[in-house]
Amino acid sequence: MKKEIGKRGAILMENVVFIILNLLFISILIVFLLKQGEGAIVLEQSYAKYIALVIDAAKPGMEIKIDMEKGKKLAEKNNIDFDEIVKISGNSVKIKLSKNGEYIYSFFNDVNVTCYPDTSNPEDVTAYIFKINEYNAHE
Amino acid sequence: MNKRGDKLLSIYWFAILVLIAGGIFLMVYNFYNHPYDVREIEAEVLINSVADCLSSEGKINSELIYEGNFSEEFEENFLEKCHLAFESEVWELPQYYTEINFYNSSDLDSSVFNITKGNKNLVSGCVIQEEKEYEREVKCVEEEFFSFDENNNLYLIKILSIVRKTEKNAK
Repeated sequence: MKKEIGKRGAILMENVVFIILNLLFISILIVFLLKQGEGAIVLEQSYAKYIALVIDAAKPGMEIKIDMEKGKKLAEKNNIDFDEIVKISGNSVKIKLSKNGEYIYSFFNDVNVTCYPDTSNPEDVTAYIFKINEYNAHE
Repeated sequence: MNKRGDKLLSIYWFAILVLIAGGIFLMVYNFYNHPYDVREIEAEVLINSVADCLSSEGKINSELIYEGNFSEEFEENFLEKCHLAFESEVWELPQYYTEINFYNSSDLDSSVFNITKGNKNLVSGCVIQEEKEYEREVKCVEEEFFSFDENNNLYLIKILSIVRKTEKNAK
């Protein structure tokens, strides 16, 4: 009788370990999948292209607010100030979320754009404002 | 015998887990290793910008057509007039091309005026893709609309826009 109880216990233990290992495996896979979409290279590229397209479709006088919370978190992790992650020079957008990399994408709209972090709520600065000033003048 | 069978089963199970993990890793790596392709949207936005410049509220821009005559000066300075910058410090050659054809509503086969700006070498990319689309080729979008001039003559305006930027949008 005693022996039988011990055997059943061993079977149960094996099953528990098996289930725990499976759960661990699935959790690692899920974390891996979620982490992949939040890498600096992917985020830099998607922000740069998104901002370039928004500027292309914009007209002078517009002020566009873009949420960059994910970018801010990643930049902070990589010791980069939030007010330095977006730069616009000429007709190209430069996004920098890591020390070693950056992503540049150009736009065709010949406008003068200024961008700065949205500080309307100083406790929660997670967005950028893009101000479309005027069309560039040509001699 | 039973224990041996269990052992075999767990090795088999482990092999399946490794296979699944490897497959998922490869798929994810392959997915994120490809850049987002936004060229088609970009070409559509370019068409919208050009259309806004040529016509407003169904009337052709008076700088472009005056008393039935198309302005050569507008054609020459089209990029400045429409506030477009096809040159960029990021690219050695222009990555855009646009072609606009105007047709009189009474004869939709031959264009009465046309404007072409940008990198003309990109046009061949559209010809290649007439039957099949290639990821590493240019993206071509064409739209058309009708608009009146000041004398209420109706014109069909066809706009073709091409965006290259292959290195940033395709692998």
